Order: sequence, then C-alpha cells, then structure tokens
Amino acid sequence: MKKLLTAIFAMASTTCALAQETTTSPLEISGSVDTYFKYDFAKRGDNIKTSFASDHNSVSLGMIDIALKKKTGKASFVGELSFGPRGQTQSIPDVAAGGSSFHIQNLYVNYDFTDQFSMTAGYMGTFIGYEVISPVGNFNYSTSYLFTNGPFQNAGIKATYKFSDKVSLMAGVFNDWNLYSASRGVSAVGGQLMVAPVEGWTAYINVLSGAGAGGYGTIEDLTTSYQITEKFKLGLNAANYDIDNDGGGYAGAALYPQYAVADAVTLGLRGEYFKYKNAGGVQGAKYTSVTLTANIKSGGLTFIPEVRLDHSGDKPFFKEGGAVAPNAGQFSLAAVYAF
Amino acid sequence: MKHLLFIILALFSIQLCAQQKQFSKDDNGKFIYYKVVDSQLISKDTLLQRAKSFVNVAYKKSMTQETVTDSSVLAKGTMVIDKTILVAGHPSGEVSYNFVFEARNGKYRFWLTDLLFIPYQRDRYGNFVATTKIGVPLERTPGKLSAGAWKDILNSAYNKIEKFGDDFKKYLATNRVEKAKKKTETISTKKW
Repeated sequence: MKKLLTAIFAMASTTCALAQETTTSPLEISGSVDTYFKYDFAKRGDNIKTSFASDHNSVSLGMIDIALKKKTGKASFVGELSFGPRGQTQSIPDVAAGGSSFHIQNLYVNYDFTDQFSMTAGYMGTFIGYEVISPVGNFNYSTSYLFTNGPFQNAGIKATYKFSDKVSLMAGVFNDWNLYSASRGVSAVGGQLMVAPVEGWTAYINVLSGAGAGGYGTIEDLTTSYQITEKFKLGLNAANYDIDNDGGGYAGAALYPQYAVADAVTLGLRGEYFKYKNAGGVQGAKYTSVTLTANIKSGGLTFIPEVRLDHSGDKPFFKEGGAVAPNAGQFSLAAVYAF
Repeated sequence: MKHLLFIILALFSIQLCAQQKQFSKDDNGKFIYYKVVDSQLISKDTLLQRAKSFVNVAYKKSMTQETVTDSSVLAKGTMVIDKTILVAGHPSGEVSYNFVFEARNGKYRFWLTDLLFIPYQRDRYGNFVATTKIGVPLERTPGKLSAGAWKDILNSAYNKIEKFGDDFKKYLATNRVEKAKKKTETISTKKW
C-alpha cells in the first residue's frame, strides 16, 4: 500500500514540477500504436517494395512504440523501444541481429554545455531524410523510396552548435548505418546545417560519408518544409548517394504538399522520383510514385486512408497472375494513436 | 484501501474543480486572464521594478520585454502546457501570450491576452517540438472531432496561466533585496 501511495504522489509531484520555470523536467512518457489494412490491386503484399505495411488484404499490426525522456539540469536521456512487425521483423537491426524481441529507436544521452552548445552520444534516429520509422512522424502511412533506401538510424557521437534560432550546425562521427554496434568501426562522418530563413520555413542540409549500405559512400540530402499559410504546408526531400568503386547508390526527390481542408482533416500528396544508380555495369531501375493521403484526427487518434500508384519502365512490379508489370497500386487504411 | 479510495476521490475532485474554470472574454471577444490586485504597502515605483524583474530575471527564458513606461510593462511570452494532470506525461504544446502590467499607487493590474496555441509533436529524436510556427487562437470553436482534445488544451492553458498569475502576485509582494540579505542559517555539529 505504501509503495502504491508513494508512486501516486511521486507521479503527481513530477507533474506539479512542470509549472515552474526550471531546467529539471519530469519523466516524459510518450509513444504510439498503429494498425493497418492494405489492399494491393495485384493482390500481392510485396508488390511495392518500400518499408513496412507489407501485408495484403489483412488487418495487420504496425508497432507499439514507447519512449522515455528525462532532463536533469543540463543532462538528459531518451530511450525509445518498439515492439511489433514495424519495429521488429521489418527493422534492419533486428534482421541483422538474427531476430530479437524489440527494436531500439533511440537510446542516447545528451549534455547541454551551454544554451548554444550540446553533445549527444548513443543510437539515434537518422538526421538524413524527410520520413521516419515512427508512423506518428510521417504524414503518409506508406514510405518513400528515399526513406527505404537511406539510413534509418545512426549510432555515434555528435556536437551541435546553435548560432541562433535560425541557424545551427551539427557534426559527428558515426558507426555504419542501422547497427547497434559498428561492424566496420567508427567509420563515418556526418554534418547537418539547419537554416530557418523565414518564419515557418526550415531547411536541413545533410551530408554523411563513410560506411553505409552497399559499401563506403557519401550521401548528400536536403530536407525542408515550409508552413506557408495556416492551411498549406510544402515539404521537399532530395538526396544523392554515391557508393565508391562503381558500387551504385541512388538519387531522387519527393515533394509533399499538404492542405488542411477542415479543422481535423488534412489532405496530402507525395510525388516522388527515384533512381538506383548503375552498379558494376548493371542498369539501375527508375521509379515514379504518387501517393494521395488524408489525415483525419480525433484527439490522439489519426485515421490515414491512402491510395498509392507507382510506375517503373523497368517493370519491377507484378500483375495478379504473376506477369511483370510497369505499374502497381494499393489502397490502405491505417489507424495511428499517439500518446 | 479506504485511504487509497479517499485519496483517489480527492484527486479527482481537484481535477474536476480545475476543469470548471474558464477564461473570460474581453471587449474584442478574445480570451483574457485579468487581475486587479490591492497593494497598499508597496509604492508604484517598487511595483514597476519588481514587474520588470519578473519579466527579465525570473521568467527570462520564456518572456521578452517589449515596452516599458513609468507605470506599465508590456511583454510577450510562451508557456509549455501538458494535458496530463495526474500521471507523468509530456508537453502537448505551447501557448503564446501578450502580457500587460499597469501600476498605480496602492494597486496594480495585469492581464494576459492574444492567446495562441501551437501543438507539439514528437520528432525523430524523441523530443517534443512545435509542429508549426502559426498559432491557433484559443477562442476558436473546434470541430466535433477535436472538441475533446481542445477542451483539454483550454483546461491546461487556464491552469498554467493561473499558476503564472499566482507566481506574479507572489513575486510583486516579495522584497527580494531583504530576502537576499538573509544568510542561510549555519548549523555547527562541534558544540551541542
């Protein structure tokens, strides 16, 4: 009984502490749960080979994601774990580890040396790209080719200097992509320049060079979004990845216009062009993709109906009977609850 | 077990009381938190100095002084709000406001208005950050789908602003010079 009462008062007191202008925050608990139904028009779950939502004609699970954060003085930590297909069997570190029971999304410590300068060490969501693993962080439920082929997470140590609210610079050293521990040593360097030229517009110019997918290479990435009006937002992601020694890579761009048609309803389009680079004399495939998505919000719950049409002249898709096809399409309905 | 039930009921009643409080509206139909405070023992100049100190020292991280006259202080500020009351949660957004303070001999008044809400969303690193720079006026009438969430935001904003108002009144009633002069009591364990 005493323990229960102590726990209640401890939780209540941490919430009360919020009211003060203090550098010590209460323990933050947040996360999400997602589930989806997908119908591929060729009745194949893996027809469009981007990440997650891989089941056809099935009410399937995404993941439950739980994050903890605590800040005491200048030091803070974030620990975030996910369970479920999106966070386990469909996550790259889990496959690399031979299948574990969960996926670490973030596990790092941070220290603010000053209001401008901070350092972070651990395993972090990647600073490359527009989309993320967590469905809460994306407008579209399906993911882009740029997301699928880029890094998901980077373990490393990074330093960030904030010149002002409009400019900051990050530089760090990292392990190879998406691994809890390095397979080729601390072998990559990366940096990010953030600029916010006008109110509502933020741009990130990113570079990551070293051990990555397919070998050693360099990825340059531009991720930007601009809230032009209260209702209209425009996002852009463009990236180029070159793998050394004729190892290929990719290049592409995606545009994300979104318009709030009602208080709780926003419509968004994702138009993407993506190309694998030629590697060792093998021609890389080109893709175009258009995704129309709605976000319908009620409290913490977001319904995400979505139609996606992909095209590639290299015919990487399949028709219902198994013949190759230049086009693929799918409909999905996802429910994502954020807490 | 009886004690536990009593405590839970007490906490719920506190929560219900908090939910019943609402913002008043000003002449322009905007939400306003307005207070007039009798302060017979403190001069107008002292009140003004303390109000400036509150903005520029005590709340310097979240407030910016705009203009000062010989009897008033105008400032802008933001406060982070959290919808969760009884358990550990996370920031759900921030409310920006305009703050006005006016002093006369024997009394002062202050108010917060132009309240705009900016929602937070968790970013890729697990931190809660603003999703937009464009705030939504707290007076807006939400649609049916978001009515419940908006009510929570209003409750949380009111509680946070009320706490801010209490802090401000305490700050203006306190002589910080005398308080600083008081030395911390030293206890010696050598003699007893």
